[in-house]
Amino acid sequence: MKTAQVIYEEGAHRWLALVRDPSRPDYLIDTNEYLVSVGDDAILLDPGGSEIFPAVFSALSTEFDPRKINKLFASHQDPDIISSLSLWLEFNPNIQCYVSWLWAGFVPHFGGDQETFIPLPDGGADIPLGGQRLQAIPAHYLHSSGNFHVYDPHAKILFSGDVGAALLPPGEDSLFVEDFDRHIRHAEGFHRRWMGSDRAKRDWCHRVSQLDIEMMCPQHGAIYRGEQVKRFIDWFAQLEVGVIK
Amino acid sequence: MAVLVQDSGRELRRIVRTNEEIKTVVLRATKINLMAMNAIFLAKRAGQSALGFGVLSNELRRFAMDLQKQMTRLREMTYGSVGTITALVQQGRVNRLLERTRKESAGSGRKLIDEAMRGRYGLAHGRHRDQITALNRRLNQMIADTTQLVELGSVLARSAKIEAAYGGPFSTSLMQVSSDFERTIGEIQSSLESLSKHEDA
Ligand SMILES: [Fe+2]
Ligand SMILES: [Fe+2]
Repeated sequence: MKTAQVIYEEGAHRWLALVRDPSRPDYLIDTNEYLVSVGDDAILLDPGGSEIFPAVFSALSTEFDPRKINKLFASHQDPDIISSLSLWLEFNPNIQCYVSWLWAGFVPHFGGDQETFIPLPDGGADIPLGGQRLQAIPAHYLHSSGNFHVYDPHAKILFSGDVGAALLPPGEDSLFVEDFDRHIRHAEGFHRRWMGSDRAKRDWCHRVSQLDIEMMCPQHGAIYRGEQVKRFIDWFAQLEVGVIK
Repeated sequence: MAVLVQDSGRELRRIVRTNEEIKTVVLRATKINLMAMNAIFLAKRAGQSALGFGVLSNELRRFAMDLQKQMTRLREMTYGSVGTITALVQQGRVNRLLERTRKESAGSGRKLIDEAMRGRYGLAHGRHRDQITALNRRLNQMIADTTQLVELGSVLARSAKIEAAYGGPFSTSLMQVSSDFERTIGEIQSSLESLSKHEDA
């Protein structure tokens, strides 16, 4: 089973990270899910694949009533991101899912109907949450052609989807990045191969370097904090991407 | 739940077999249609002595067309079954995942899963079973109707054979044609027989 860890809390505003499932079979990539709640209003970021739904649901329900999740956010269309959609709909049929307009006709293959989806325009949009606003930040071609990250200006947290992802070996799976240089080696191959566009990468680096970020939370691997965020952006900016080897 | 998944697997295999059988029957019906057209021309050439044969050939042609229509309906029905069974398989998958979630959850989380599963089992399970039973009943009925229709075709073919004997100089070729009818219809009958056997399997 996964564990639910509070990574930010201020009053009714909370970030919950659902991470590290030791019982997950090796053939499934490990994923992080994040629940952002402001009071009773909650959004689950990259809810995950249907096969890991049991682990996510059970960890989450120790900290939050899953029926109160009324929004989902899918950074892109991958199965490890959103194939659990139909299962979340079981608990709240009125749940709404934010996803790039590009995938609004594809993701319904995982469930939902025309009421379910809120297509995000390429330039991004605000996502209201309990009187506050999260921002869908464009991250197209990183790696998906219609791709968004989520910035929480109040908590100063950036959910960065597959950007910042690392495939960690057993034993090196702490929640936060401890040693940047050591950690980034596990991220390099992933970014070279999965990230397709150098230009899109430079755009993204420019865009997020203007944001005030205290934590950068990827969908795979460990969370970057403080100075590590800037280090990551600098590292990524100079990395050659879109290459097979 | 395991039973449901097993059931649906068997149902799907049966539909595949049924569709394959439908294809052969349709092929043979087309063949009868063509044979009947030739027989109609032949009877015209034979003239007065093959009047009865000509009438029967017309009937056989109508029979072939009715059979084709019947097969189209049967195929539509099996498509419908694929829809129902697909839904059943999907339900089975969701149930399996919920079952696992239940095992991993505790407290209020588990209670939620219990509720969700009770709802699903109560509704979906019963509804789908009913749907499959109804589909099977309709399918069996339609196969029985088709068997009757083909029985009629077989009577027509036998009568054509008797008529052929009065065909004068054309008797041999008329006899040949009516034997072809008889054989092809016999093949259709055995196809249908194996279909109704599948129904029991
Ligand atoms: Fe992805
Ligand atoms: Fe991913």
